[in-house]
Amino acid sequence: MTVSRRDFLSSGLVGVASGVIVPPILAKGVFAAGVDGIHNDRVLVVVQLAGGNDGLNTVVPYADPAYATARPTVGVRPETVLHIDSNVGLNPALKNLKSLYDGGSVAIVQGVGYDNPTYSHFENLYVWEYADPKRAQTDGWLGQMLGSQLDSQGHPLAGCALGEVSTPPELRASNAIVSVIQSIDAYTVRGGGGRQATAPALYRSTPGIYGTLFDQALSTAEYGMKTLSLGATTYKPAAQYTVAGTAPAANTLGSAMQLTAQMIVTEPSVKICHVVLGGFDTHQAESARQSALLSELDAALSAFMQDIAAHGQADRVVLMTWSEFGRRIAENGSQGTDHGAAAPLFIIGKPVKGGLYGEQPSLTSTIDGGNLKYTVDFRSVYQTLIRDWLQGDPQSVLGASYPELPVIKQA
Amino acid sequence: MKLTGIRLSRRQAIGVAAGGALGAVALHYGLDETGSRPKAAAVSAGGWPSPLGDQRAMAAHLLRRAGFGYTKADLDEAASISYDDLVDKLVTQQPDPLAVPADATNHNLVVRAWYAHMATTHAQFPERMTLFWHGVLTSDYRKAARLPFVFQQNNLYRSAALTDLRSLLSSVTHDPLMMRYLNLDAGTAAAPNENYARELMELFTLGPGNYSESDVREGARALSGLRIGLFDSGGSRIPAPRYDKSNPQSYADQINALVASGARFRGTVVARLHDSGGKTLLGKTGNLGADDVIDILLAQSACAPFVTRRAMTFFATPNPSDADVNDVASQFRNSRYDLRTLMRAIFRSRVFTSPANYRSLMRSPTDYMVASTRALNRPQLAVAAAKAAAGMDQVLYDPPNVAGWPSNAGWVNSTSMLARINFATTAITQTAALPDPKTGVGTQLDGVLGRDTAAAFKAAGNDADRWFALLASPEFQLK
Repeated sequence: MTVSRRDFLSSGLVGVASGVIVPPILAKGVFAAGVDGIHNDRVLVVVQLAGGNDGLNTVVPYADPAYATARPTVGVRPETVLHIDSNVGLNPALKNLKSLYDGGSVAIVQGVGYDNPTYSHFENLYVWEYADPKRAQTDGWLGQMLGSQLDSQGHPLAGCALGEVSTPPELRASNAIVSVIQSIDAYTVRGGGGRQATAPALYRSTPGIYGTLFDQALSTAEYGMKTLSLGATTYKPAAQYTVAGTAPAANTLGSAMQLTAQMIVTEPSVKICHVVLGGFDTHQAESARQSALLSELDAALSAFMQDIAAHGQADRVVLMTWSEFGRRIAENGSQGTDHGAAAPLFIIGKPVKGGLYGEQPSLTSTIDGGNLKYTVDFRSVYQTLIRDWLQGDPQSVLGASYPELPVIKQA
Repeated sequence: MKLTGIRLSRRQAIGVAAGGALGAVALHYGLDETGSRPKAAAVSAGGWPSPLGDQRAMAAHLLRRAGFGYTKADLDEAASISYDDLVDKLVTQQPDPLAVPADATNHNLVVRAWYAHMATTHAQFPERMTLFWHGVLTSDYRKAARLPFVFQQNNLYRSAALTDLRSLLSSVTHDPLMMRYLNLDAGTAAAPNENYARELMELFTLGPGNYSESDVREGARALSGLRIGLFDSGGSRIPAPRYDKSNPQSYADQINALVASGARFRGTVVARLHDSGGKTLLGKTGNLGADDVIDILLAQSACAPFVTRRAMTFFATPNPSDADVNDVASQFRNSRYDLRTLMRAIFRSRVFTSPANYRSLMRSPTDYMVASTRALNRPQLAVAAAKAAAGMDQVLYDPPNVAGWPSNAGWVNSTSMLARINFATTAITQTAALPDPKTGVGTQLDGVLGRDTAAAFKAAGNDADRWFALLASPEFQLK
């Protein structure tokens, strides 16, 4: 077949007008050295619990008779709950988190959600990742912070996804550079024979719609490989990240959190770290599964807090957890729970003023056929972290102002 | 729904196009010594000079997308017939079943056998469709413990991949791995499980906004009571062996003997667990069951465009326009959802063959590894591919979530690009006799190289380094 000039022109125009493609990372030129252009020395670590963590079995309203009624098989037995107060307590798998709470460095924000929620994983992920229930934003909320407020020079390690093999959407933005590092061992070019130099040289001026994206990925990798090989010699973990007696594969979050500590300790330009623990979509046989996941979370978080404290970094790190939704109040017929709405989250760190925030939603006055009505808009959490922790401007990311929670200690 | 895509503003899109045009100036030709140096008919939307229009380049473009790449001999054969004849030849290929592995209950053996099959089968197009459906109607191997469910689903998708959407969805709704993955085997009349009903509407047929929460709940009721049973090769229900913890090998042996005899597990309705009351789904009321649900969804006007868009994004162009989608979708719908009709329409569509569409798709990790294997004349790389897959974010039967795999730009990040580059080294190291790399430039890259790849190729001192420049290049990541 042949293509006329007219065919080409018209199809080319269609391509441009419909935004055929994809790679809008703004090239910022040569990477800045040190911390030039880095907003301040504060770090936010984001731990995503993917799949929809069951909030009611994480922060358990054990004293509410409606809880036991709704969950005859899936419910956490009241005598095992780690009491926070006379109404709620933590899942027994979260024993180290309870110690941190007792030490005053854990804020539990209850009832986090938004108005008119959807019950789809993907729509909720979008809402949280882009801080936009209308799902119209095209840049992730953390990506916007990185690209516009936290790093004016484009440091390749200012935003890191650790223990992961893809860029989390919340870190994606047209002007943000993100390093994705699954492990230090794999973050290298193997094969000798000059291939460490050849590989990035193949991606200096790539044409085409993926060109900028490709070239940015390779130059980011090149910078990260050098930094990590230097950092590995100066960092030794000061905590036990692996759970004794379990296989290494069961400690993927532990490995990711250890890498997070290493990045914070060794690379002063790090601003945002993202890690993920998946598997929370517990439609069936929930109790054993969620308990194992929460144990993994508990061990990894406490080791991380211990490690950064031992390295003298605790004053500059705050960690938050989130999940795309909580789960239905009533269990289903499969010893599991279906998709739900509002749920609690944790904000953890030495700069955090521990305690309970927000209100536990009612189990009887519900929405959408048996779901929790939120009491705290998730954007209140974002606004608090943006303004009070990262010292940025929440308005430009969130588009409006939300009531803040006093969870960050004021100096 | 946007899981991985990044949308461009109009201003950014124009900026990209302008940058691409500048990049095109730097392109080099002339490395192809086969005498088939293509003439660039035009520049693609993103900046690569496009050889599309040349019959050989069109054949290569199609083989990269409708299959998993090719050797020089494969391309020579494909380029000897017209483009339209080549499309017909591919879409009418009969699927080549995956042979029963030594232990059909071991998903690692199944995945390795699948990599080898993708690299070697002549029925490339049905194989490519199998991978497509594995991404759309995805499942997780963890739900197959001790049972041959991964093997069964793999062959089910291959045999149903090119039937029609109704047959495919009906088979999938009764597939044991899917039933377990999305909890279809758990719903009862008293407590229907919503997981499958929701994803069937949101991800498999209609997309968000085209059904309500009430439809999800009614759909779950209609799908309640399905349970997994074992059926012999004649279709009669037979008792399944009981698992004996003290003798797992005996259990595996019994299961493998059953698989070898043609017995299969599949879903069947258990009447006492099924909600036989009236239900109303998308305005249709009755005592609905699984096949009624599928028929009602297929009758929605949103269905054909939704499925077509998913297929076009995978096979044709990263962000198809509504007009492009609707043109193909109407052919698909009019054919009663015939899947060969869908794919023929996509391959013959203007957007697929447009010069502007050259190198507009990114190879998935599986595609990249299998295409590398084929470019190197098919060495045995299944074990290496299975091992390398995790670093590229595509472990087969272990998708990131129920929406399946990322696509195109969603694959690009610092760590996964390094993993691809390292696989090139592994593949080259494990190939005993490397083909001529200069011929490879013409065959695999259409002779269209960017400045960086051309420089690295010229600087390479031996064939291994030349193949490294070729397989690790940005050009070879694209199709």
